[in-house]
Amino acid sequence: MGKITVGVLALQGGVVEHISLLQKAAPYISSPDTSKSDFDFDFIQVRTKNELAACDALIIPGGESTTMSIVAQRLGLLDPLRDFVKVQGKPVWGTCAGLVMLAEEASATKKGGQELVGGLDVRVLRNRYGTQIQSFVADLRLPFLGETDTTPFRGVFIRAPVVEEIISPSAEAVTPGDGKKEPVEVMGVYRKPSEGGEDDDIVAVRQRNVFGTSFHPELTSDIRIHVWWLKQVLDAVGEQKTGQGAGVQVDLPV
Amino acid sequence: MAEVDTSNGTTANDTDSFTVKDGLAKMLKGGVIMDVTTPEEARIAEEAGACAVMALERIPSDIRAMGGVARMSNPSMIKAIQDAVTIPVMAKARIGHVIECRILEELGVDYVDESEVLTPADDKYHVAKSDFTIPFVCGCRNLGEALRRIKEGAAMIRTKGEAGTGDVVEAVKHMRTVNDEIAAAKAALASGGELAVAAMAREIGADAGLLIETAKLGRLPVVNFAAGGVATPADAALMMHLGCDGVFVGSGIFKDATPEHAARRARAVVKATAQYTDMKVLVEASVEFGEAMKGISNAGMKPEERMAGRGW
Repeated sequence: MGKITVGVLALQGGVVEHISLLQKAAPYISSPDTSKSDFDFDFIQVRTKNELAACDALIIPGGESTTMSIVAQRLGLLDPLRDFVKVQGKPVWGTCAGLVMLAEEASATKKGGQELVGGLDVRVLRNRYGTQIQSFVADLRLPFLGETDTTPFRGVFIRAPVVEEIISPSAEAVTPGDGKKEPVEVMGVYRKPSEGGEDDDIVAVRQRNVFGTSFHPELTSDIRIHVWWLKQVLDAVGEQKTGQGAGVQVDLPV
Repeated sequence: MAEVDTSNGTTANDTDSFTVKDGLAKMLKGGVIMDVTTPEEARIAEEAGACAVMALERIPSDIRAMGGVARMSNPSMIKAIQDAVTIPVMAKARIGHVIECRILEELGVDYVDESEVLTPADDKYHVAKSDFTIPFVCGCRNLGEALRRIKEGAAMIRTKGEAGTGDVVEAVKHMRTVNDEIAAAKAALASGGELAVAAMAREIGADAGLLIETAKLGRLPVVNFAAGGVATPADAALMMHLGCDGVFVGSGIFKDATPEHAARRARAVVKATAQYTDMKVLVEASVEFGEAMKGISNAGMKPEERMAGRGW
């Protein structure tokens, strides 16, 4: 398959932390079929349209979503980003502010709202837990990491948003590929220690090519989510380039 | 590790506590933090794309002009700014003033700047910052000072520069000094191992463990912003070019400017900081910025007029 370029949007925020974990995650991904295993990953920082165009997949990192959105707008990157996510349907992952950017709607935004890239049919609530004093680290159980892997993931929540509601897609929503709109999957919840299950917060979601987390895996040394996501990237690139999945195998360091 | 209760009912240990403090600083990287004195200015900063604001009663150039004792801002003005914006709000406390810091923590500001711009409250000690849930940023002129603050619990460092002057020369000097000393520590580690770094640590008044960590990383172990005299998009880009992770702009946005002009200045500095290697963008940003604050040259300043000398 050759080179697979994975970008991290580098307008503001925690960029190098993602690149560092991607580099650590890459060696754990291999293809069992040797004819398809001739690939290697290239991880780049994305600041321009041309750099975005070179990417097979993209991470929108944590940072301040208002800043990222304003800078992206001023650099004329919002429409290319929307095209990347919604028309080309390439794999995209947003963490924290990145999740806000990838939501179709956001609440508790600055006066007058903010421009979003969209892609996930959800409404996110910004700063769900309050100010920095309420930032925290908590154990999460993330079933998509595998039923056999019971080690909790240390979720770092910093002025974090959560998915407040899954919304119905708008009628004019662009749907890539066969035009079939796939539902939003809840990939992880945070159960607050003091409250019952009713109030679980949705902190990880996926809808087709778009994945979002409220928390910051890139602020830990745990590479499991980066490994899992790179595998999704490889599968998607395999489908695009060969018309079939790459049959990726993952050897997690457990 | 000590288990401490956090306000949301979870338990956290010291490592987790530092992860979230340092984590917020990492999320501010590549951004501009602007001094604001009113909710209206805070909104201008937010609309321009500031990644955080510093709420204070007077911008440093006015503190300088007014003289007298400069203290923590009135909580009512900080609250009004917190209500006006959704981005993080920082506030300044006097060096060593534990109680001002506790008041700011109670107010729920997102970061405390233990700042030499205010009149110091303690001539011997800085605040023991690890004891707080709230994170701290502190200024430095050199590596020893930076590592002393980190040892006390600061999760973010900035150059001191010379606040309120609009003259970037001191900020450049402080950043260069830190960079040179990190290079020296790396060289010491390579030639003489950890013992050589420990010897250097004694010389510069730093914790040996932190200096060894710095030498291995080749950079400060926490986020490092530029501050003090950054007045134009070109100044901001210069500090990024020298290796800063982001920029504080104090008086440079709102001094000698109408709200419309301040908004243009703010947008221009944000753009220049985000795209500091792109000269086309820097030309646009410099045009958009317009006239800069008049400023005071550092060259003619008497030692007692300098704020950077405050702190130990």
